[in-house]
Amino acid sequence: MDTPSTKKRIFVVDDESGFTRLLKLTLEHTGHYIVKEENDGTQAWLAAREFRPDIIFLDIVMPKIDGGDVAQQIRSDPMLARIPIIFLTAIVSQTESKSEIGGFPFISKPVSLEAIIRCITEHIGE
Amino acid sequence: MSSPRPAKHRVLVVEDNPGDVFLLREMVNEEPNSRFLVTAEAGRLEQAMEVLKSEQVDVVLLDLQLPDSHGADTFTILHGAAPDVPIIVLSESDDEELALETVQLGAHEYLVKGRVDGHLLHRALRYALERARSEMQLARERDLLHTLLENIPDRIYFKDRQSRFIRINRALTALFGLERADEAYGKTDADFYGADHAGEALQDERRLMETGEPLLGKVEFETMADGRKTWSLTTKLPLRDRKGRIIGTCGISREITEIKEMEEQLATERNLLRAVIDNLPDLVFLKDAEGHYLLDNAAHLRWLGAHDASEVRGRTLFDFFSDEIATRLHADDMEVAASRLPKLNQEEYVIDPQGNLRWRLTSKIPWLDNDGLCTVGLVCISRDITEQKLAEASLKQANAELAASREELLRAVEEVKFAHSELRDVQLQLIEAEKMKSIGRLSAGVAHEVKNPLAILKMGIDFLSGQKLEGEHTSMILKEMNDALARADGVIRGLLDFSAPKQLEVKRENLNKIIVDGLKLVRGEMKGSFEIERDLQPNLPPLDLDAGKISQVFVNLFTNAIHAMGEGGTLSVRTFTKQLTGVGANVGDSRSESFRVGRNIVVAEIDDTGNGIPEDKLAKIFEPFYTTKPTGKGTGLGLSVVKTIVDLHGGTIDIRNLHDAGVRVTLMFQA
Repeated sequence: MDTPSTKKRIFVVDDESGFTRLLKLTLEHTGHYIVKEENDGTQAWLAAREFRPDIIFLDIVMPKIDGGDVAQQIRSDPMLARIPIIFLTAIVSQTESKSEIGGFPFISKPVSLEAIIRCITEHIGE
Repeated sequence: MSSPRPAKHRVLVVEDNPGDVFLLREMVNEEPNSRFLVTAEAGRLEQAMEVLKSEQVDVVLLDLQLPDSHGADTFTILHGAAPDVPIIVLSESDDEELALETVQLGAHEYLVKGRVDGHLLHRALRYALERARSEMQLARERDLLHTLLENIPDRIYFKDRQSRFIRINRALTALFGLERADEAYGKTDADFYGADHAGEALQDERRLMETGEPLLGKVEFETMADGRKTWSLTTKLPLRDRKGRIIGTCGISREITEIKEMEEQLATERNLLRAVIDNLPDLVFLKDAEGHYLLDNAAHLRWLGAHDASEVRGRTLFDFFSDEIATRLHADDMEVAASRLPKLNQEEYVIDPQGNLRWRLTSKIPWLDNDGLCTVGLVCISRDITEQKLAEASLKQANAELAASREELLRAVEEVKFAHSELRDVQLQLIEAEKMKSIGRLSAGVAHEVKNPLAILKMGIDFLSGQKLEGEHTSMILKEMNDALARADGVIRGLLDFSAPKQLEVKRENLNKIIVDGLKLVRGEMKGSFEIERDLQPNLPPLDLDAGKISQVFVNLFTNAIHAMGEGGTLSVRTFTKQLTGVGANVGDSRSESFRVGRNIVVAEIDDTGNGIPEDKLAKIFEPFYTTKPTGKGTGLGLSVVKTIVDLHGGTIDIRNLHDAGVRVTLMFQA
């Protein structure tokens, strides 16, 4: 078991609370991650400043605010600018050759736990 | 032989007294150089009449007292029997009264018996004979005059100084409606003519009697008393007595009403003809055989710039045209005159007297004399056709321009047609794009609403799979759930792929490599005894492809082929280049410029050994959501996505049943 200090800090922004809750449960169940979920996109930036994540999973299609705008807010905050952001989206097919949206990597929902972990490892290491 | 003496005048002596007979014969015959000879004697009147019937007698010596006749009757009877023969009456000395009476009745002379000698008798004979001759002459002349007056159709009259008729002829009698000429005597013109003419005639006659000047050939318009109107030509002369004194007038007048009417008719016709030719727009003119203008209509005068016919008549072409043109036209005129053959509707150009170039259409007809032997001149009719000529020229030009514009128009139409077809293509593309956009929006909505729940399910399944769970079926159930989830996700992905924004990221790619990679990806689908035959042309030229999308195409096609073969079969893949020699299947539909005959293309063919596609369904296989697979085996989006991607690459795809079994998919890309 990693100590809390060595655990990767994962920030998930998605209006689907069912999804974020299960993702948090599943990832934290592995014992390697601390997951912070945020279901209101407008609160994502402040929550991120508070949580200081190692990586952010960001849903694109959300009520009130678009994932892209949230990504902009975070990127323009010097404290958060270097944190990798992975888009999560239900409206893009994984089979499309593009693996980036607006310069950000993305994962198509539904996504397997395995794919999430592979993605985290790829961006911030074991 | 003495010279023949002239024949003597024959004398008949009618006397019943033989002594007197003897004496008279002696005196007639014996007078020296007598020119008379008694050739017959009669004692009775009856006997004398017989002689006059049977013999030629030049003069008669008649005693009035005969046995069968007495007194003046004797003379009257005998004179009646031979009125031309002069009679000298012999009377007794006591009966001179009777003798004088016979003279008044026509006897030429009377002689008293006993007072006659030879000399006196001869003088009486000569005188009687002479008088008879002059009387005969006079009578002949009177007869001639009478014949003339009675038979000539001209009207002749004689008037006294008061212009009263003293003699009129039969024609005038008839004109006046009288039976006898003497009914007119003592009357004047006023009794027969209307007041106008009668007054004028009276004036003329008075002047004539004053001056003695005859009035010759005056044309008079006469209105008769009954209202009839006539024209006449009248000559009036002073009537003089033997001493030359004017005692009246005489006149001869001929009715010329008919001539006058003919003249008027002729004048009318002439005016009519003149009006016709003057009102003709054509130029009408006559020339004599030497080319002098004789007659010109108004149009010709205008054309020549003349104000009056006199400016043209008698002149020639050389007075109005340049020498060169006049020479040419004159030669033509002379040719017609010489050949006597008309020249009809000749086009000729001339410079008119005003200096303008004019075109004329001219007909020249030889004008022959009555015998048709000799050319008197030319009749010319000419029409100025300059306007038509100019119009013709501009029409020609307009036609040429029209032809040119037509060419241009046709070209423009072609361009428009081409543009239209391009536009239609664009429109179709726009409709397609619009359709895709709405499908895209729908898909995105569906994807969002379905994939999010799927994501939760997936997370849940993954979480549960990591737990140690009770029950022998648990892991099997989780796997089934996972598969169902994958299937649902597959449908949504297909939908998204189909409606995804159509933008390619092309690079130079090796088609063979994409195919080989694709075959690896579908290996998992082959559950049974499958064989793969690869015949890939080694030096295939690199193509501009979006590798990810083309890979998707081949994976899709391979998967279809494998599914079509079910438990097993052979999947054959070939690639090769070829040069298009003709339009193949589907190529004709392509809007790509690349599939022209002669272009190099790269072909990929995928054959399977499955059951093929029912012919009635071949036409629909590229439609979205159409599938031949059993429920749960396909989304119905695969081939429509494939076609969309191939189209985006400017390629073609053709799917057809093979002859024996299976399906061949042919893909063509421009090299």
